[in-house]
Amino acid sequence: MKLVIIGNGIAGNQVAFDVRKKDPVARIVILSAEDVPEYDPCSLPYYLGGECLRADVFRKRPEDYADNRIELRYDSRAVSIDPDKKQVTLHTGEQIDYDKLVLAHGGDLFVPPIPGIDNSGVFSCKQLAETQKLADHKGTSAVVIGSGAIGIEAAEALKRKGYDVHVIELMDWILPSLFDEPTARRLETELTGYGIQVFTHEKVMEITGKGQVTGVVTDRRTIDCDTVVVATGVVPGTALAKTAGIDTGRGIQVNRQMMTSVPDIYACGDCVETIDACTGEIAMFQLKHNAIEQAQVAARHILGEPVRYLGAYAFARAHFFDTHAATFGKTQRALDCVFGDKHIVEREDQNNYLRVVLLDNKIVGGQAIGKFADDLGLLIGAMWRKDDFLDIAAKMRSLPRGGAVHAWPMVRLGRVLGM
Amino acid sequence: MNVRREQLSIDPEKCTGCRRCMIACAMKHHDRIDPDLSRVNVIRFDSQDLDVPVICMACDTAPCIKVCPMNARIRQANGTVTTNPDVCIGCRACVYICPAATPRINPYTGRTMTCDMCEGETEPWCVAACRQEKALTICTQGGTFHRAARQAAGKTKKYHT
Repeated sequence: MKLVIIGNGIAGNQVAFDVRKKDPVARIVILSAEDVPEYDPCSLPYYLGGECLRADVFRKRPEDYADNRIELRYDSRAVSIDPDKKQVTLHTGEQIDYDKLVLAHGGDLFVPPIPGIDNSGVFSCKQLAETQKLADHKGTSAVVIGSGAIGIEAAEALKRKGYDVHVIELMDWILPSLFDEPTARRLETELTGYGIQVFTHEKVMEITGKGQVTGVVTDRRTIDCDTVVVATGVVPGTALAKTAGIDTGRGIQVNRQMMTSVPDIYACGDCVETIDACTGEIAMFQLKHNAIEQAQVAARHILGEPVRYLGAYAFARAHFFDTHAATFGKTQRALDCVFGDKHIVEREDQNNYLRVVLLDNKIVGGQAIGKFADDLGLLIGAMWRKDDFLDIAAKMRSLPRGGAVHAWPMVRLGRVLGM
Repeated sequence: MNVRREQLSIDPEKCTGCRRCMIACAMKHHDRIDPDLSRVNVIRFDSQDLDVPVICMACDTAPCIKVCPMNARIRQANGTVTTNPDVCIGCRACVYICPAATPRINPYTGRTMTCDMCEGETEPWCVAACRQEKALTICTQGGTFHRAARQAAGKTKKYHT
């Protein structure tokens, strides 16, 4: 069997090494668009901020590929797929045959069409090469466009490097897809307290400067800066899949075995759209743990094992300086278009904040800052089990004062919820 | 993934809340008598008059390994999952995703730490400290106690809902 994997990211490597573990004879080829072994995009902001060494970013060493007889081809961008001839065409024109193909090329950074975005001094923080350029860049004032997880982490890293940092967010609050407004406002206050200026509900109109960035113009103000970081989100790469006639929606559509609509072509990682494990609706969570799980499913199915992917789930943490926050499941805003009885449980204690989102008395999401976040895993477990909130409350009231050892997990959960 | 043959088993019914396990754990790993440095966490529920030791169960499909942005969570040869303190940046993703909220944060370094079953010792120190009460014991996979624990775990769900 010849297995060709497009993309040298987390999902691609997971497939390659999982298949190699069980199948010692298969020929495995990884086509990488970059020229480094597998690295973890999640750790790039920490490398940028000097919290870890460049070597710690890598998940694999170059020799790991040779040891496992995995052929890693650098600078090989696949441009089209011919599913009838079972061939992948590279940008050099070279054609590679495959028996099984895995699309794991992930997402592309969304570059907004802002005038002046091509100026030097505009960086992104998604790929190692770009991050390295930003790390080598010397500047004093930076503007981060977009306040997703990458944007906030990049802002923290630049602040650590001594920049004046401004974050501009188009939506009403920072981390708009992860947190609800009350949580995000608290995080915004914390960020401002660390000296990072946050401007929400502002639109970047132009990046000024001829050749070199000199400032950013928004619809409300002008900020002088010499560095711009674009962190406006990641869009799944579907162009390659379309050349093979694979069905795509927002991302590449896959079934529960991570197979696409074309036989012998699998897809996993950031480029696919899957279902939410808890609600069953179409969802895209471009997060590392989902990529790993999808890749494990794809690898097992390639090896012929019966397997079924349970679905993706949202879990993210926001961590900067001494502020720790985490979120899971759905936000209140994401529930706005869902029917049902919605309820919010909030707890507050100085800087600590907990917000649990209930739908029909089942926990479907939550956000926490500070000490409440430490027990967030219990709530994630309750979401998976679909515990009924009213049942827990009723049971808690009926427990005897002493003893009740058997119910300690529930007592612990009830304590987190403040019952 | 390594197949684990041993597992720490907790019996909250027998726990007296003496916290000797926490002292033993801190002594073993940090040579200090400081419950904050313990990997075992005895949680006190005042409302129920209960003490429950909570410790990393080293899940077979450990979510903390997958969510760690620095890949600092490592499965060791004896099956336990520990944090590599050289790489950990203290983002606490492993604490938040843990279904039992077990990783503890070293208050002096900000990095997380979990049970490594006292690798290299004949017996984990917390188990030795709890020999009299037997709230913390070692159970071997497939053993009688293991099966009993599995059955008990199945019952918990019934109580829970």
